[in-house]
Amino acid sequence: MNREILVVNSVTVDYPGVRALDAVSLAFRTGEIHAIVGENGAGKSTMMKVLSGVIRPTSGTIMLKGMQRQFTRPSDAIRAGIAMVHQELHLVGTLNVAENVLLGREPTRFLGVAVDHQRQHVVAGALLRQLGSDFDLSTLACDLSIAQQQFVEIAKCLASDARVLIFDEPTAVLGEVEANRLFTVMKRLRDEGRCVIFISHHLDEVISIADRITVLRDGKVVQVFSRNTSGIVQSEDGSIADEGRLAHAMVGHELSSIYPEKVYPTCTSSAIELVNFGAKKKSHGISFSVAAGEILGIAGLVGSGRTETAEALVGIRPCEGVLRVEGREIRFSNPRAAMRSGVAYVSEDRKNRGLHVTLSSICNMMLPSLDKVSRFGGIMIDSHTEQRMTKKWIDAFQIRCARPMQAISSLSGGNQQKFALARWLEARPKVLIIDEPTRGVDVGARGEIYRIITQLAREGLACIVISSELPEVIGIAHRVIVMREGTIAGEISSERLVLKDCQERIVRIASGLSEESVESK
Amino acid sequence: MNRRIASMLRASQRGLEMWGVIVAFVILFAVSTFNQGFDFLNPENFRALLNSNAPVGILAVGMTLVIISAGIDLSVGSMVVLAAAIGMTTMNSLIDSGTSELNAVMLGGAATIFAGTVAGTFNGVLVVFGRIAPFIATLGGLAAFRSMSLAIADAGEIRSQSATMFSALGRGGVPIPGLLNAAGKPLTLSYSTVIFFVVAIIAQWFLSRSRFGRQLVAVGANETAARYAGISVSWVRLRVYSIMGLLAGIAALVQSSRMNSVSTAQLGLGSELDAIAAVVIGGTTLRGGFGRVWGTVVGVLILGMITNILTISGVSPYWQGAVKGAVIVLAVLVQRSSRE
Repeated sequence: MNREILVVNSVTVDYPGVRALDAVSLAFRTGEIHAIVGENGAGKSTMMKVLSGVIRPTSGTIMLKGMQRQFTRPSDAIRAGIAMVHQELHLVGTLNVAENVLLGREPTRFLGVAVDHQRQHVVAGALLRQLGSDFDLSTLACDLSIAQQQFVEIAKCLASDARVLIFDEPTAVLGEVEANRLFTVMKRLRDEGRCVIFISHHLDEVISIADRITVLRDGKVVQVFSRNTSGIVQSEDGSIADEGRLAHAMVGHELSSIYPEKVYPTCTSSAIELVNFGAKKKSHGISFSVAAGEILGIAGLVGSGRTETAEALVGIRPCEGVLRVEGREIRFSNPRAAMRSGVAYVSEDRKNRGLHVTLSSICNMMLPSLDKVSRFGGIMIDSHTEQRMTKKWIDAFQIRCARPMQAISSLSGGNQQKFALARWLEARPKVLIIDEPTRGVDVGARGEIYRIITQLAREGLACIVISSELPEVIGIAHRVIVMREGTIAGEISSERLVLKDCQERIVRIASGLSEESVESK
Repeated sequence: MNRRIASMLRASQRGLEMWGVIVAFVILFAVSTFNQGFDFLNPENFRALLNSNAPVGILAVGMTLVIISAGIDLSVGSMVVLAAAIGMTTMNSLIDSGTSELNAVMLGGAATIFAGTVAGTFNGVLVVFGRIAPFIATLGGLAAFRSMSLAIADAGEIRSQSATMFSALGRGGVPIPGLLNAAGKPLTLSYSTVIFFVVAIIAQWFLSRSRFGRQLVAVGANETAARYAGISVSWVRLRVYSIMGLLAGIAALVQSSRMNSVSTAQLGLGSELDAIAAVVIGGTTLRGGFGRVWGTVVGVLILGMITNILTISGVSPYWQGAVKGAVIVLAVLVQRSSRE
């Protein structure tokens, strides 16, 4: 009775320098909830982008209902019956619920000239009731709660008669009650014979509702679990899937040798200290301190408030609580002020925030330290000094960059990241916050970036490394803080960091499985 | 083989993007010469061409900077008339109250430039602190500044009380050695042309060599990234609108001294469009982050030459707007196709 509706045959996706998916083969069936789990960067989102037609695979095929299909754009996938419920919702705020549900497929009359509002209401109402949700159809979308908006999104998918629905981390934005209502809807969709694909970081949720679980790691399928007739999820070899086993499958166990040897700091005076700090509305109650020469790792799921806290710290977002830099209480109103006090932040979003992709390497490099190369009160930039400084960093970091005057977008991710780091080091900070230091950086350059960070710490810089890649955090940090839902959920001390199970431990804390790990500080 | 041709095509397209404005200028120049022969090549004609386009040119230089910052200023024409009206009213009342003519002219000129700067700064404050989109904020200025100047003069003309001294700036010039006009007198390069070139050279210098220029490009290319890099985005944007106002004040001074009067209903009318057109033709991208003042200068000359050709060939002035419009759209199309 459960036919295979969507089959993925050895799909490979190559990004420049990175193989995001490596010959993945998967089958999705009608009437099942199929969960896909994996660490950040394991290839989940890439998989979903392939299925929903956002990107085309480098090689491999997709079969839908037994026919080979090639989607060139998202609308192709939607027309074929594959709909995606995005984490960021795409409702039109100024239209009401009924209009949003039937957006683009409005019932009309008078030969298609006028929208039939009555039928619009009836049809949209029926779809929402099908989801067991009943709210006023004339409410404007911008007045709905996040959960309600999600239901409208799902109703939209039903309106296009989607047979395959993809939920991309839908519970990340929901509270527990709302999440449970969503699961009820997902089960209902499954029982109607649709295929529900579910991506989540919350392993407990996955185990409780999924019929099958595929674990991705480094772009490959590493394990598939399925629910047997007595309702227990187990792997092919019969072992029962519990959260620990899933976490284990997700992270694997190879800690490669690209991480340099750790040199523990001797200095104990804190370079930066946070007391009950937080980014307004995004994080709260964060207290930690980093000594000069120490590397503090901050782990946690996407959306756990790590980036927001860092941004509040350097004055990009409004903050609350106490911040001390070298013992002095201070609060920054913008990154410029933070830089003057020796705190620099390297953004995770290199393309949109960290660098100016349209400008040259040298421009990007010098932007935070223009004052240093300005002459006559800024009327003239000393291009000799500028070039010398850039050259110095190109040599120090072995940046492969043929012509510094060329647009920085022509460089590889790794070399761009080195410039993003170097530009702040030119300002001689005392505290360096690096958000996702190796996102979009190929493996070769990763090792070099780790070496640079370790070297900087050895020279007395206090480093805070925010990363979603656990091996990375474990590999370079002296100490790791795990964040969850906007606050610190646990801390892994340096002694624990060398233990074999620490990666699983972090995954557990980050996904809220074991609160007991909140150690005494 | 195909790849080679493709790469050659791409290279030539990049070249078109870079040098297209020069190519267009040369073509227009050749067409004009072919059409009019000696009439066009006459130095007197060039003198007139530069002279008549200098005020719009000064505005276009400021507009280049504003557009590089990913903004726009629709109020430039109205800033010109308001600054000119305030300046001339000041000068006249000083003369009436018995101040020496020289002092009155100096103070009136200073008032013109000051009024322009204040108006520009006001735009900047609306954009930066009022968080109003530049298009809307300056659209307000477009209406308000002209209306103020109409109110000052009761929609009429303000005549200068200075017989010749004030108009010396607008009508005089520097003699060019070795060139004589038809009457055998030395040909002069008007002061307004000189001011236009000086303003353009300073602006180009600031754009490519100064700290402010770097910050301007960074803000225009990506405001968020500029803020993350520790640039004070508000300060940069505020300054660029003030500079626009300053240049509008200078343009107002040039215009009003040339006419030795200010017609509040006519002065600067529609010059925001000419200025924006020159910027676009010159290769500055409307979405900001890239631009060049020298391109704008050539853009101004191209627009001037088109008018010149059309006028000399006897095309009705009513049709000239249509031709200009076509040229602007064409310039944008060329830029876009070479960028994709």
